[in-house]
Amino acid sequence: MNNNKIENYDPITFVPQTESHGTKDIWKTLIILSLITVLDIILYFVMPVSMFRNVVFIFFGLVKAYYIVGSFMHLKHEKFELILMILVPSVFIIALVSGMLYDGNFWLSFK
Amino acid sequence: MTSNTSAVNSKTWAGGRSPFKISYGKLMMWIFLLSDVFTFSSLLIGYGTVRFSYTSAPELPETQKVSPMSHVGHDFVEKMQNTGIFSEDHWPSADLVFNHFPFLHGVHLPLMFVSLMTFILIFSSVTMVLAVEAGQRKDQSNVAKYMLYTIVGGIAFLSCQAWEWTQFIGEGSSLFSNPFGPSQFAALFFIVTGFHGFHVLSGVVINIIVYFNTLKGTYEKRGHYEMIEKVGLYWHFVDLVWVFVFTFFYLI
Repeated sequence: MNNNKIENYDPITFVPQTESHGTKDIWKTLIILSLITVLDIILYFVMPVSMFRNVVFIFFGLVKAYYIVGSFMHLKHEKFELILMILVPSVFIIALVSGMLYDGNFWLSFK
Repeated sequence: MTSNTSAVNSKTWAGGRSPFKISYGKLMMWIFLLSDVFTFSSLLIGYGTVRFSYTSAPELPETQKVSPMSHVGHDFVEKMQNTGIFSEDHWPSADLVFNHFPFLHGVHLPLMFVSLMTFILIFSSVTMVLAVEAGQRKDQSNVAKYMLYTIVGGIAFLSCQAWEWTQFIGEGSSLFSNPFGPSQFAALFFIVTGFHGFHVLSGVVINIIVYFNTLKGTYEKRGHYEMIEKVGLYWHFVDLVWVFVFTFFYLI
């Protein structure tokens, strides 16, 4: 079995061989990002202000984030361990969001 | 080594190979960006917390409704203050505040200018990723060309932001007060978009350095264009942050 040892491996200067994936994926991502942004703008004028509309906007934001990070930043082509290393710490953000918004809502009751 | 799994794992981490199959510089860039994610989320969560501690401004009465493209006078802000739509007691809605567009003075155009800024940033992200792709093919002239496009996009975005800030400050906003609502409204706007704009500015400076290095043939001599990928990561991150600034400040 090939154990992927690298001859004269130096962790500081090591740069893996990269190959171009072509530009097809780039144009696809551009179209998706543009369409979602246009949809954002349309919904902004068409839908009445509501919590549901906010949830839709946040969902669209997360979809855009997926395409930017996955395709443009190339994360979906990286090793699974690296993907985990970047994504798992973001769990703390969810914890902070729920805690702080609860707090903000509580301050409102003082006014 | 009792089990087969731990044997494989220790092989991965025993040295002599890159466990993540990624260079040192790129890994450090990812870790830096992760820390920046936390910085920006703290700022946006701070915004959300303050926003939740205020009620929304009341809806405009039917007789005063301003439809997009309609004309609004110079006294628009004053009128909103007099009718109690803009008051320190509740959070203003973004479409009555950010409704200006360059060269279309007095026309009510909510969201339009900031959408333009969003598209500028998306397109500069695309030219950046095209530069990365050209770098993977070691195509020096195309890398330089797309880097230049990216720099132009970044400068265009910064110019838009400068215009928007000028407009906002001209209407009387500062870190401590503003005519639209609670003082935190403008303060958070300046801090969050300012912090993002500063990231764009440093991105443009880094892009210019990398552009001249490309022209000089630094990366050609080095044998790989990995620097373009690292700079690209940073540039896309700036775009990523803008997606959320756009969502939370303007859409919601």
